[in-house]
Amino acid sequence: MTRWTMVADLRRCVGCQTCTAACKHANATPPGVQWRRVLDMEFGEYPNVQRAFVPVGCQHCEDPPCMEVCPSTATRKRADGIVTIDYDVCIGCAYCAVACPYQARYKTDRASFAYGAATENEAKRHDDARLAVATKCTFCVDRIDAGLAQGLTPGVDPAATPACVNACIAQALAFGDADDPQSNVSQLLAQNRSFRMHEELGTGPNFHYLWDGGEP
Amino acid sequence: MTPGSGGAVGPDPWVQRHWDWRAAGNFIGGGAGSGLILFAALGDTQGAPLVAALLGGLALVGAGLLCVWLEIGRPWRALNVFVNLRTSWMSREAAVAALLVPVTLAAAAGIPLARALAVVLAGAFLFAQSRILRAARGIPAWRAPLAAPLVVVTGLVEGGGLWLAIGALSGAPTPPLAWVWAALLIARFLLWPAYVRPLPERARRALEPAGRTLRWLGTALPFALIALDAMRPGPATAWLALAGVAAALAGSRVKHALVTRASFNQGFALARLPVRGARP
Amino acid sequence: MSRPVAPRSDDARAAPAGVRRVPTACYQCVAGPDLLTVKVEDGVATEVEPNFCAAAVHPGGGKVCVKAFGLVQKTYNPHRVLAPMKRSNPVKGRDQDPGWVPISWDEAFGLIADRLNDVRATGLTDESGYPRVAASFGGGGTPQSYMGTFPAFLAAWGPVDMGFGSGQGVKCYHSEHLYGEFWHRAFIVAPDTPLCNYLISCGSNIEASGGVVGIWRHSNARVRGMKRVQVEPHLSVTGACSAQWVPIRPKTDAAFLYALIHVMLHELPRERLDLPFLCRRTASPYLVGPHGYYLRDRATRKPLVWDRATASALPFDAPGLDEALEGTFLVDAVEVGPDGDVLAEGRIDGATSFAKLVRHMRAYSPEWAAGICDVPAATMRRIANEYVEHACVGQTIEIEGRTLPLRPVAVTLGKTVNNGWGGYECCWARTLLATLVGALEVPGGTIGTTVRLTRPMSQRHESVKPGPDGFMHYPLNPTDREHWQPKPNIRNAYRTMVPLAGDGPWSQALGPTHFSWMFLDETPKGLPRVTPPDVWFFYRTNPAISFWDTVALGEKLARFPFVVAFAYTRDETNHFADVLLPDATDLESLQLIRIGTTKYVEQFWDHEGFALRQPVVEPRGETRDFTDIATELAARTGLTAGYNAAINKGAAGVPLKGAHADHSLPLDRRHDREAIWDAVCRAASAELTDGAEDHGLDWWRERGLATRPYPRDRWYLYPTVVERGLRFELPYQERLKRVGAELGRRLHEHDMHWWDAQLAEYQALPPWKDFPALWEQVVTAGGASLGDYPFWLLTARSMQYAWGGNVGLQMIREVADNIAGHRGVIVNPQAAARLGIADGDPIEIATPKRRVRGRAVLRQGIRPDTLLLIGQFEHWETPLAKDFGMPSLNTLATMSIALTDATGSGADLVRVSLRRAAPGEAAR
Repeated sequence: MTRWTMVADLRRCVGCQTCTAACKHANATPPGVQWRRVLDMEFGEYPNVQRAFVPVGCQHCEDPPCMEVCPSTATRKRADGIVTIDYDVCIGCAYCAVACPYQARYKTDRASFAYGAATENEAKRHDDARLAVATKCTFCVDRIDAGLAQGLTPGVDPAATPACVNACIAQALAFGDADDPQSNVSQLLAQNRSFRMHEELGTGPNFHYLWDGGEP
Repeated sequence: MTPGSGGAVGPDPWVQRHWDWRAAGNFIGGGAGSGLILFAALGDTQGAPLVAALLGGLALVGAGLLCVWLEIGRPWRALNVFVNLRTSWMSREAAVAALLVPVTLAAAAGIPLARALAVVLAGAFLFAQSRILRAARGIPAWRAPLAAPLVVVTGLVEGGGLWLAIGALSGAPTPPLAWVWAALLIARFLLWPAYVRPLPERARRALEPAGRTLRWLGTALPFALIALDAMRPGPATAWLALAGVAAALAGSRVKHALVTRASFNQGFALARLPVRGARP
Repeated sequence: MSRPVAPRSDDARAAPAGVRRVPTACYQCVAGPDLLTVKVEDGVATEVEPNFCAAAVHPGGGKVCVKAFGLVQKTYNPHRVLAPMKRSNPVKGRDQDPGWVPISWDEAFGLIADRLNDVRATGLTDESGYPRVAASFGGGGTPQSYMGTFPAFLAAWGPVDMGFGSGQGVKCYHSEHLYGEFWHRAFIVAPDTPLCNYLISCGSNIEASGGVVGIWRHSNARVRGMKRVQVEPHLSVTGACSAQWVPIRPKTDAAFLYALIHVMLHELPRERLDLPFLCRRTASPYLVGPHGYYLRDRATRKPLVWDRATASALPFDAPGLDEALEGTFLVDAVEVGPDGDVLAEGRIDGATSFAKLVRHMRAYSPEWAAGICDVPAATMRRIANEYVEHACVGQTIEIEGRTLPLRPVAVTLGKTVNNGWGGYECCWARTLLATLVGALEVPGGTIGTTVRLTRPMSQRHESVKPGPDGFMHYPLNPTDREHWQPKPNIRNAYRTMVPLAGDGPWSQALGPTHFSWMFLDETPKGLPRVTPPDVWFFYRTNPAISFWDTVALGEKLARFPFVVAFAYTRDETNHFADVLLPDATDLESLQLIRIGTTKYVEQFWDHEGFALRQPVVEPRGETRDFTDIATELAARTGLTAGYNAAINKGAAGVPLKGAHADHSLPLDRRHDREAIWDAVCRAASAELTDGAEDHGLDWWRERGLATRPYPRDRWYLYPTVVERGLRFELPYQERLKRVGAELGRRLHEHDMHWWDAQLAEYQALPPWKDFPALWEQVVTAGGASLGDYPFWLLTARSMQYAWGGNVGLQMIREVADNIAGHRGVIVNPQAAARLGIADGDPIEIATPKRRVRGRAVLRQGIRPDTLLLIGQFEHWETPLAKDFGMPSLNTLATMSIALTDATGSGADLVRVSLRRAAPGEAAR
């Protein structure tokens, strides 16, 4: 089987938002919608303070709360693990959005543009099908599928890799098949200590956070 | 810069912005309405009050569903809501509602079996509503263990309260089910702190005003009014009607707060902090 | 000579019809240049992506940072000025609407050429001797990569005053620029990140300012195990990503660094230091006389050392020396002071420079520093010990087949530490920390990036030429009686006042660039009256936002008679312009730029070459390529021949006549943009391949870049210094002491006493001074009480906003909001609670003279006595930015001589009060 998985190395991430911006470019998301973004989290009390930068977005869970609650089956999970949304089926009830414990889903009711009216590039990319329905990170599924069709390896060959991973200047993001023990993500997970977010909710996220070197 | 609808803030939990007063309206109308249908169909009401209650309940349920229809992004695809009966409580709620309407109308028309069926379907509808919230794993205040029972209990209290009001205003004697209703009123009163206590602090604080309303307008006042009513001989009076309405209003307030004020999302958390370069 | 690598910009996916991926370059900030591709669909730029074809050579994987992703929106921003504009309201002022009226390019050029030709007719310099034409470019030199052949026009013009600053040279790494170049050809100092294991960073916010390559390298270093100790008053992005945060009191870093040195000199055995390096490669053994100058051989005037082998004093360059590192020795010598004055001659006691250093540092214990820095002594002691432990004194490494010392420890300094008062002390201490363990300019250690003041600029190692006393030559502005220049060439008087600024093409912007503004109202005694320029050009800079005393600066701008703004959108500085010229912006214009070798911040390449920044889309509206603008201006001012000559000489980045080929443009006629850049491309091609190839514009358009290997050992200056038999001019600053004394004499001879405080900085071994007190005095000087202004206000870098003119880009604002501090003033919660301030509350920050309004952002990662304003905002004209409601330190900070150090720099630091503001209260 294939299980597409994202690994974010918290030791590397500097919160620059390059991935946030790259995702917006690749997916032409409207203002305010950030399928990938990086949080700035602070812990402790002065002077014992720590601060971490945390890439978040859809975790493409094994047991996705969104899919369970979706009344229309617009949200589905592929055999390779990617959780998808069929924009043409979605009724825009946002049940999935409140069900998601990772706040990964967005719904934009009206067409909105950076400066009011659409600029040339926005007009070129605008898609009415994505209005008033749920949207979220797709692991750049179109790039993955097109890449696979050409014999490329997602996570290794840039043309087959999610835009955020391609763009990351700290090499903090890695993408690959966790069911392949030789893959980049499998090796990262085997050689470093990691965790998943909100593990206790039983969502089974396919998004891992590295926090230290050394075997788990 | 305002983020888009349902837009992201964080990293601390924030009140979800996807479901607003319209979603609250669904739980308010649907809860009270199904409770009203249930009590009316279960009780020994007859004639015009029965029809009023059944149709009133249906109207409330319908108003709630209309609210939802007004909120969804693609209202003209609304029929897609029925597809995922396998796992989605929203699909199930819609399906039950689709059955509840004709059945309740039939009950209002006096068809005997329909009345019994209406009880079941109304109960199922209320139950489905409570499970809708519970399945929203992203909102701690909704998936909390006692959230669903609270929604059921308050729905019954609200519906029952309206049913008592209809009955009282129509001059009927206080029905035996009223005792059940009073017990439910107490149950709601006790359930509330048990529900609220384990919630995250933000949600707890956000629910304080609604809690106060529940205690005073929703419990103390109704009981005071019930006592007043009981002191007067004869059929149920306007006091009882007021008690029912007060209890119903308080329930509405609670559900509104639950949906639009206490609905902080899960936020983000790190199980471990990163080690950067050397162990501290 | 190996064949250069030139990637093809093909894509693994077959490109659908109408879709192109165009390679280009980004140099919006000094952390670049970096490489990208832009996806263009049916002529519309839609997406920015890395250029993975460059991944093999670019030290950041062929990637670009968040700012480059703003370039699409930058291109299609509806607020762009798309046609030339002229002002119709003759009155200039903050509250005056300029009344911009679109005009044709012909009319615009006519207006400008008329003024320029008037100047040529009147005289290129005015009655004060200053150039009548001034030009300001911000961005630490990066605008040069966007202004096409405009430098050729300026070169052809004649004297131009490029010293009206917008912050560069003053608010930047200023002291580091000057002292760094002086001591080790390090205009900017970097750690050798790939090999470094222990890095002490005093306020260097590299994770926000280091760009793609800086972040790439440090990310790898962290995972490899490099420990970085971030010493900084707030927990910056860099502090967050460090192993340890030391929340130091602002402007006390010199005391911290001195304490580390004290530990190394007074608490550790001498053998822990790199004694051979100190003896052989530095001036540590040079003997110092009673007046503080070197003791010199009476015949040759060479500085003397004590040779242990012969038990005698010998010149520093005698063969077979066994120099004594410490001790005092009676020697036969002459001590020469300023202006060649013989201060002593005969049998004189001389202490080694190193011995004097040890004595100098004795008082600066960690216990002493703790009270000043508010850092526990134990912490400083531990850091000093860890530094020495990690230094691996004695170890070596093989680089390009050579055996070099390996010293994997480094110290970096950030803004506000390496500029303003205390900048000298911090830079000196930092370089000393490297020197003591032999970690200066060696693998793993503290190394320089490039040179801007010494020459040649593009060849750092070639600039290592022998100078006096065994040190590197440095083009100090002369201070001797015969050659000192009392009459400045430009308004900021760098040549007169700042010997270290040199006199190269970059020196103007590295003088005290705030003086140009300050002296407009009152020129100090001895300098010719500072006059407004007849014509002022500016590009990619917004001094009305980015400098100090912004309100007053705007008022001065209003008095400039004719201002030409190369404008992107309306902004706070071009509000005072007379003509707006819209240049074709980043993705619309053409220029070939150099890439590789070692350059600024952390751009250390194993390759060198060129990249083409090319138009990916047609220029919008009436915008024009800067090259075309320059060519037209040259033609209209009769300067075409000189302009072409300047291009031929290399003003476009590459000399057109090189060793292998001659692509010089004929002087007598105009050449269009394509012809010019085709010639430049061919010349670059020839230079890169030693004449083997001759590729023109079309080839470069397709490839995007071309490189050849650059040897790794060129990252380190140490081998070159050794090869040329030179020493690093440390620890004792005898030359600077002399230069300062001479400068003092020259100034006093001209009755100029207003620079005396600055003259005091020219010390051979600088003691600690109470630097914070200097800023405190700003408060008390006006009669106010310091207790009423208890907070230190600082700034820090916003990676998303800085540079590029992207403050008006919606997407940048949106993504930047994910990082704390972009919506207000960062305040410690304890401090806020004492003042009744909650998160998000409206607040007012004030000095005795000014106040600004904002919102409180409560964060634990900041000292309770410190406030932080990220970036530089408070825009009032720039679309989008003007609605941010973010205050700026620049409104509160003054320009003053008192706060200017000897190199002419200041620091972003202000003492302020803080209070909760009532919601309806008006600001100011």
